[in-house]
Formats: sequence, structure tokens, C-alpha cells
Amino acid sequence: MPGADGPPSDTELLRRHVAGDSEAFGELFRRHRDRLWAVALRTVGDPEEAGDALQDAMISAFRRAGDFRGDSAVTTWLHRIVVNACLDRLRRKAARPAVSAGDEQAFEALVAQDSDPARATDTRLDIDAALRILPPQQRAALLVVDMLGFSVADAAIILDTSQGTVKSRCARARARLLPHVAHLRGNRSASESVSPAQGGDA
Amino acid sequence: MRRETGHLDTDVLAEFRAGLITGRRRRAIAAHLTDCARCTAADTELAELSALLAAIPAPVVPDSVAQRLDATLAAEVARQDEAGRGGARHSRDRRRAPRRARRPTPRLVMTRVLVPAAALVVLAAGGYGLSLIGGQSSSSSSAAAGSAAEPAAASAAPSPARANALPVPSMTARAAYPGIQKSILGLAPNGTDFLPATLRSQLEALLRAPTTMGPAQAPTAQLRACIQRLASGVSPGTVKLAESAYYQGRPAIVIVVSSGRGYLAWVVAPSWVGPGCSATSAGVLARTTLQGISAP
Repeated sequence: MPGADGPPSDTELLRRHVAGDSEAFGELFRRHRDRLWAVALRTVGDPEEAGDALQDAMISAFRRAGDFRGDSAVTTWLHRIVVNACLDRLRRKAARPAVSAGDEQAFEALVAQDSDPARATDTRLDIDAALRILPPQQRAALLVVDMLGFSVADAAIILDTSQGTVKSRCARARARLLPHVAHLRGNRSASESVSPAQGGDA
Repeated sequence: MRRETGHLDTDVLAEFRAGLITGRRRRAIAAHLTDCARCTAADTELAELSALLAAIPAPVVPDSVAQRLDATLAAEVARQDEAGRGGARHSRDRRRAPRRARRPTPRLVMTRVLVPAAALVVLAAGGYGLSLIGGQSSSSSSAAAGSAAEPAAASAAPSPARANALPVPSMTARAAYPGIQKSILGLAPNGTDFLPATLRSQLEALLRAPTTMGPAQAPTAQLRACIQRLASGVSPGTVKLAESAYYQGRPAIVIVVSSGRGYLAWVVAPSWVGPGCSATSAGVLARTTLQGISAP
């Protein structure tokens, strides 16, 4: 039972949604949207695909909320749906070599390619680039555990695998990533995004 | 045991840190780490990597994505509401949703509808069009059965959300057709006269205006099918806008669909709607691309 005051818990919002409250799901989803976006963006590696994946996931969560059994946290369940949507997309993308729909192709080509103006911190961009060298499953594991801070147990639920597999995917990912981010650790003093606890260079 | 040579692989160290190595082998590695500066340094680097990853700020959802998600969600909610109240009017949707009768799943997502007609009259007299900032809850979604009279009735009893709404000049050229436009095939009338030279900027201004889930549009089944056909050629293909308007002084339908990097827009004549409708069939009066619109 949620407390009488303060914002309703995730579980409560989901319960209200299932009971037909039309505002509840929106509130729940917005609460976690940035983190879910981070997962989607870094798992699929492309903003366009990430937007599609997140939208798929949102609809799926909206419709399947009744299936939530409460044996994990709501946020774990949401992340699981997003990761699944992303990995599905990556699989489908790998399976279909660039087919496109007839007469829309020419029109689509008219759309200006946006050359993303430089944004955000260098560290983030470099990490994102480095993450792309990892196989999707390893990348997803590293994201969930190291970047989002889920426990291995929750990560196993999100990634739909065993805890041992989560650990070994993370271990392999870290070992593989390490040589690619050595320069970031060197530049660390210039970056304000690293926590002070890690500040003192050896 | 002390080891002079045979440093540990990064892989092994990573597995060690992850707790994947147990027993004698674990003890041996731990012992090695107490003695070997090089392996200890590598081990520290691995620890720092995890800390570095944890410290990276999460990217913020771009406006375009946030808007799309909000619009999709609003449409889901509206659809659920509508299905929940499920009158006979919606029986055609039922066959498409065998799993769960209360959630039919037409792909067509309408995200923007125009203001009550009476409000238009007032502001059109003042020389500019408007959009209203409405609440997300589209409680009236099933109300508008596509008759032009319905929006006027809705405006007579404004909801709280509408009472607080701010009129926003949309800079669309409405001067030539200030009156209430008759709805085409059930679409919300827009009243804008789009012109070839300014089509893009007019549409962008329209999209930039705050959206509202006001009285739902109820386009005819054939029009819905045609819009869906347009949208199906585009990814993600969310329909942002479908309204009746004018193009060079003649009645026309404007349809805007989101594509990856922005939007694709079509202006079609009412006669375009029919069995053969497509992105290139007769009756397409104009089409253009629009940049992604961010919130004002």
C-alpha cells in the first residue's frame, strides 16, 4: 500500500492504470522516460531506431500492464520491455538488408540529413562510440549493470538470462572496452562529469 | 605464491572482479594481485571503468521523441477510453482485436485536432488563427461523430482545461477564409488557405503550435484507409496531423506524417480519397518535407 502523502509509487500507478485511470500510465512512463531513453539509445546506437524502439516498448507496456505480476520492481519490468524492444529491432535490422517502400523512397531522400551539430560532452560521445564495438548482448548487460546501476539479479530479469550470464557478459564487455577508453581516464581531470571520489590521478 | 612472470589477462581480471572465479584459482589471483603492481594497476583500471560508466550523465530525451511518445500515449489512452465505452459505432474495430476487446489497434494515430469552431470565429475576426493548449485527457474523444456542428457544441461548455487555454497566433494565412470551414469527410476543419510558396512555413507553424487532444476527428473509413496507406510508406509513420483546409482557395486535406528526421506532408484534393489513393495518385496537390519541430 502506498503512503497517503507524496507521489504514488510505481506499483500504485501501474495498478491505477490497469484499473482504468487514464493519467496513471503517462505519469509512470514520464517518471522513467530519461533512463529508458538512455537504455534504448545506447542499446540500438541510433536515435531514430531508439525512438521507434522506445515507442514500441511504451505501447507494449501500456497494453500488457495487466501481465505484470509484481515479482520484480516496476522499473525493472519497464527496462526489460525496452531492452527486448531494442534487441528485437537489432535482430530484425540484421535480418533485413535495407529494403524500402516503393514510391516513398524518392520522397524520403529529399529529407535533409541532419548533421547533428556538436552537442553534449566529449566523454559521453566517446563512450557511446566505444560501446558500439561491443556485441549487443554485452553492451546491454554493461549498460544495465554499470551505467544504470541495477543489481546483477535485476539485470538478469531485465536481460532475461541467468545471473552468471550477466556477470560474464559484463566481464567480457569491460575487458573489451578497457583499451578503448584508456584515453578518457587520462583526460579525466578535464571532465567535470566524473565523480570526485574518482578524481585523484594515480 | 609469488609469480615473477605470467601477468593476468584483462579478461581474467574482469571475471575475477565479477565474482566468476572461485576456489583455489580465486585465491591464487588474489595473492598475485597483492604482489604484482602491473596487474593491480589493470585491476584498478577495470574498477575505474565501471565508475566512469556510472558517472556518464544519461542523455535527455529529445523534444521530438518526447512529443512523439506523448502523442502516441494520448492516442492509446483515447483509444482505450473509446473502446471502454464501446458503442455499436465501434464494432468494426472489434474484429481486429481478438485478444482484448477493449483495445482495438488501428495503426492510425491522430495527434492533433483543431479548436472548437466558435473559438475560431472569434479569433478569425481578430485577424489570426489559433490553437489551444488543451489537457492531455481527451475525455470527449468519442463525442465528435464527425459532424461540423459538434465542435461548436463543445465550445459552448468549455472544459476547465480549455478555460485556461491560451490562444496562440499561428501565423497562418486565414484572412481570405475567415468563416467556419465545412469539414471534409469528417476531418477537423482547419480554415487555413495553404499556398505553394508558403506551404512549408505554414505547416511548420501549425505543427509548432501547441497541440491538443480536443474533440476527436472521425474521418470516414475510406479516408482513414488512405491516410494509413500514406503513413505505411514512412517510418515511423505516426500521423501528426490530418485536417481539412484549403489549398490555393480550394478545399483540400493536409496530412502530416512523422519520418525519422522530420515530417512528410501531403496536400490532397477531396477527390484523392478513393480506392486508388496513394502517395502519388491523382489528387495529390502538393507535398513537402518539414524539419523536426521542437517545442516553443
